[in-house]
Amino acid sequence: MKIVILGAGQVGTSMAEILSLEANDITLIDRNPNQLEGLQDRLDIRTIIGNGPHPNILEQAGIEDADLLLAVTDHDEVNMAACQIAHTLYRTPKKIARIRATEYLTHPEIFCNESIPIDFIISPEQIITQQILALIENPGALQVVEFAGGRIQLVGVRAYFGGPLVGHELRDLRKHLPMINTRVAAVYRHDRPIIPLGETIIEPDDEVFFIAAKAHIREVMSELRSVETPGRRVILAGAGNIGLRLARTLEDNDYRVKLIERNPERIREVANLLEDTVVLHGDAADQELLWQENIDQTEVFCALTNADEANILSGMLAKRLGAKHAIALVSRSAYVDLIESSVLDVAISPQLATVGTLLTHIRRGDMVAVHSLRRGAAEAIEAIAHGDPATSQVVGRRIDEISLPPGTTLSALVRGDDVIIAKGSTVIEAEDHVIVFVIDKQRIPEVERLFQVAATFI
Amino acid sequence: MSSPTHLNPSGSSRPNGVLHGLLALDQVAIDVSVSSKKRLMEEVATLLIRGNSSLNKDTVFHLLVARERLGSTGIGHGIAIPHARLNGIQTPTAAVLRLTRPLSFDALDGEPVSLVLALVVPADATETHLQILAALAKLSDDPARRADFHAATSCDDLFNLLT
Repeated sequence: MKIVILGAGQVGTSMAEILSLEANDITLIDRNPNQLEGLQDRLDIRTIIGNGPHPNILEQAGIEDADLLLAVTDHDEVNMAACQIAHTLYRTPKKIARIRATEYLTHPEIFCNESIPIDFIISPEQIITQQILALIENPGALQVVEFAGGRIQLVGVRAYFGGPLVGHELRDLRKHLPMINTRVAAVYRHDRPIIPLGETIIEPDDEVFFIAAKAHIREVMSELRSVETPGRRVILAGAGNIGLRLARTLEDNDYRVKLIERNPERIREVANLLEDTVVLHGDAADQELLWQENIDQTEVFCALTNADEANILSGMLAKRLGAKHAIALVSRSAYVDLIESSVLDVAISPQLATVGTLLTHIRRGDMVAVHSLRRGAAEAIEAIAHGDPATSQVVGRRIDEISLPPGTTLSALVRGDDVIIAKGSTVIEAEDHVIVFVIDKQRIPEVERLFQVAATFI
Repeated sequence: MSSPTHLNPSGSSRPNGVLHGLLALDQVAIDVSVSSKKRLMEEVATLLIRGNSSLNKDTVFHLLVARERLGSTGIGHGIAIPHARLNGIQTPTAAVLRLTRPLSFDALDGEPVSLVLALVVPADATETHLQILAALAKLSDDPARRADFHAATSCDDLFNLLT
């Protein structure tokens, strides 16, 4: 796909990096040459220096041939202008923009072709907030992603001694939980995927990905580790955009939130925007402060500052002082690999959290959701099956008749209002939403092809 | 040269070309030079709307792009059949473009595309419309006809081969 990205900040650069690994043709525009320096050599992309929304700059970047414009500068207005110009002058088929100001976001009706032509708005802060909220709601989960508007969840969890299913064959899950429909999509043992079969025995420390209706997640999780009653006490470190947003969301969900921030000015700003959250001045790596705030009775500690190292260290400290779970925002992928599941419970990469949303629009076929899993190595997608047995490779077929790429599981279907956990005998119908787990991202092109309709589909 | 027998929209058999009655001479273009699939679809939309004054170019363009996303219409041997269903039209209309430089099209056989046979049909497409599309798809199977399309030296030539 030909993609023009406007804005070489953190979001633009990391998206360019991830997308350029996937045979996309990428041009990155920024007005600041320093931002672009070195990128052209390091990544397989083109870079253009200039004021992005200007038509001559967009043309230089190849907008006339582009399938997608991704406007992710720090300025909402610049992003909107770029989409407007691409739409009016170049008929760019898909325009995605980052819009941050809630003043705009509370009026979604302005984002249409007749007004401000943006097909999809991304808000990395919102995506990350949602992901952390899901982790707080499911203590012990490594990753929680949603499909079908939240009705289905895919959860990654580490198996521990004491979980009733640990040491047992997967097929026993049905005996243990006869009333609950769930399906294990993948199991990772010592970081290597194993294809889950009925006779697969779950070992302690296995990383298990299962899919179930949202209401059943807790019960399935309790099969894999001792049951936890989720507490309501949360401490957040860093009152940036994400910290503030998360504090507000947690307030709305009846959590008791403390927010630690170093900058007194920022404290004044956010204190006015929060109702029940206790905003504290201080350093999240200050042992005394954490003790004072009863870190040992805290369910989850989230380190959300801009600095990876500070987040990792304060997360480790919080954990040592007795916080039950520690989550840290970590941008550098090398760090994420290093620390997750060893010194911290979960490291969230803002880039990987955001990229799925973009991939939804870049993947071929009719995709509703794409989630990047296991630090980008695996992927879970929700695709719509179109066509009939003649024009589709999946419609009208039993799941066990479909030739799937190795390491790919069709885990669940959503048909109208019904959630169907997949069995071999399940027959896929046209317009079903199919949830697919792909262990190896290299197989994605094959999965895309599987869901594409034949040329004669009309 | 002989054309296979096809059904026309009224359902009767006819000995004419696949696009008889659906294509006007000004909907045929040879020596089209485009640098991307996106620009090709803009050209296709430009020609398609000549067949029906009520058609809007942007709408047709976006529908063609949306259909292409569900799966490439490249049917192999350098031929593509982009198409869309459209509200507010009663009869199908077609367009034919031959490209100077073959274009990467994500086709079934991976071959770049040089001949484009485009079609829009009413939203409530009938069996007849499906048959027109199926007949277009079959053209790629016939090496002799493919050679004819490539040998055509004018829009008239290409028009006559298909109508």
